[in-house]
Amino acid sequence: MAFECRYLHLPPFCFEIRTDLPSVLTNIQLIYADAIQHSSKYTDYFLTIKSGSGLRKFIRPQVRFLADQQEPFKPINSDCGFALLEWGMNWCVATQEMRFVIVHAAVLEKDGKAVLFPAPPGSGKSTLTAWLAFNGWRLLSDEMALIQPGTQTVVPFVRPICLKNNSITLAKTWFPTARFSSIAKNTHKGDVIHLSPPTLSWQQSSVPAQIVAIVFPKYDKDQTLTITQLNQAQSFSALAENAFNFSLGGQAGFETIVQLVEKAQCFEASYNSVAELAEFLSEDVLPYANI
Amino acid sequence: MQISDVIIELFRGNVPASLSLKQWSDTIRVLRYQQCLARIGWRLKHLGVDISTLPQYVQNHFKNAEIIARKQFHQVHYEAAELQKLLQPYATHLLFLKGAAYSLTENACVGSGRTYSDIDLLVDRNSITVIEKELAVHGFFAEDLDEYDQKYYREWSHEIPPLRHGSRGTVLDVHHNLLPIISGRAPDINMFFQHIQATQDGYSVFKPAAMFLHSTIHLFLNEEIKHGFRDLTDLYLIIEQYQSDAFWRELVELAISTNFAVELCLALRYTNKILGQAIPASVTEELQRFLPSKVALSYLDFIFLRILKPTHPVFGNWQDNLAQLLLLVRGHYLKMPLTILIKHLLWKSGRQITTALLGSSFFDKVEDEAKQKQ
Repeated sequence: MAFECRYLHLPPFCFEIRTDLPSVLTNIQLIYADAIQHSSKYTDYFLTIKSGSGLRKFIRPQVRFLADQQEPFKPINSDCGFALLEWGMNWCVATQEMRFVIVHAAVLEKDGKAVLFPAPPGSGKSTLTAWLAFNGWRLLSDEMALIQPGTQTVVPFVRPICLKNNSITLAKTWFPTARFSSIAKNTHKGDVIHLSPPTLSWQQSSVPAQIVAIVFPKYDKDQTLTITQLNQAQSFSALAENAFNFSLGGQAGFETIVQLVEKAQCFEASYNSVAELAEFLSEDVLPYANI
Repeated sequence: MQISDVIIELFRGNVPASLSLKQWSDTIRVLRYQQCLARIGWRLKHLGVDISTLPQYVQNHFKNAEIIARKQFHQVHYEAAELQKLLQPYATHLLFLKGAAYSLTENACVGSGRTYSDIDLLVDRNSITVIEKELAVHGFFAEDLDEYDQKYYREWSHEIPPLRHGSRGTVLDVHHNLLPIISGRAPDINMFFQHIQATQDGYSVFKPAAMFLHSTIHLFLNEEIKHGFRDLTDLYLIIEQYQSDAFWRELVELAISTNFAVELCLALRYTNKILGQAIPASVTEELQRFLPSKVALSYLDFIFLRILKPTHPVFGNWQDNLAQLLLLVRGHYLKMPLTILIKHLLWKSGRQITTALLGSSFFDKVEDEAKQKQ
């Protein structure tokens, strides 16, 4: 296939995507739908996702990601093109967008009040994110919380939710009519699928929210909901650990995180039912948070 | 207006009227590729341009770049303090070169918004072995190289293979000369050691004239120039800030005595032709006899008037590509005797043909694949 070009308007950024892979184009169409344009006034990142060179086009075909002229990752199996593009977009933002304090966290909002879910891989964060996004919460971000320095304001960066391994079947049962990408098999994260969030997220993709709570989720199938309130020192170190560009932002990054843990409530939550955790947040946290 | 002209105007502190957002996007793209985004942002402020009048899109990217450059500035001060502490006992000379030196020199404009990917050190040749060991003890190791590249570094080069810090990722280039020994152009390094100054924090760097000459040598004897415009603006900024009768005298004398007068002619020619830097008539006159012939100059102009402009592969034409090829040939030719050059090119092109056929990751080590799968 000849190269085709699409512009993804994903506030606060615009990406130009060039690709010669039909599967990538199909997935973009499926997941991003209304965010796609054929031209753009400005572009933040110029990305290429293309098939490998030489004989690699035919034997065990590979796909490569380029951010302008830079190739930050090694080529991977060509079925994983769309996943590679997703990670590439994350990479651009995480390495360049220093005007935000970026925390590795999902962000969901209700009544203008946002909850941050920072968590390492394997904690069930994305499954929780998916459930909340389809059950009355608005998804602002699945991977990266973009926080305005010196404030509790989080700016949405609406992107598909990245689900891994067992949660793929679970999500497909939960949301049979939702839009899923094709499965990327055997990546460094295992099998991976991307799920497009509901319309509300896309419609309000430029509407920020105020962070009122920070919840460190931990899925444990043998554990009914257990909430532990964290003190400010614990919350600070837990949050700083998940901040991509904490050191880059220097003073501003530090002060932002301090202010956040002072003003927001911080919990650790072990759960085996997402519905229970959601109920706790809606009934015991949000009503008491002032913004 | 071409994007390269837009960028040159910005460097001079003029924001062209009515640039479209599309033109700004291309400008930001080229500046990022040239590693000049933070520099131009700094330059505009330095020359009194009110950044807040520019489109928000542009401000965002300048802001991002400024934060990254500031972080690198602090990082290099931290690394320099560590290196100084570790290596001082083993080295008669321990100099910071190029990017790191710009950052470490207090109030140096050339260090403002300057970004780079590694820290360059210059030490005495006879202390290289002990320094390499000492660095290894503290976590700096060479990356795996094949036998050919090892031989290249150890026998022919002016530096040891790059060393990377295991946890911080900092990359060090440790040199014992300014040019490969095999080139026949490596100067008597003691002549450069006579032009050293200490920064406020006690780091050794070249004085401005020697700093300028080293950057010149690096730029005009290289076979590949990735950030030509950034390197050219380095030269411009050193002259702009430090020029004086003494500076020019020292520069011309050092260039002549170390046999780099031709390269100095070229540096001054292109800062003048591309950036409009004024060169004192007396200096031009003194260097006149070293200027290449008219024919040679038109050939050099073809190369360098393209390579040193703020270019980007996407906006290049066939002439820009040709200029790059000619630069590659010229750089190799200047740095290697012909027999070795032929061997070198055969080896490298063999590898290139292999990657062209078998894919760009063919030579990646097997362990990497294993690591990726984990």
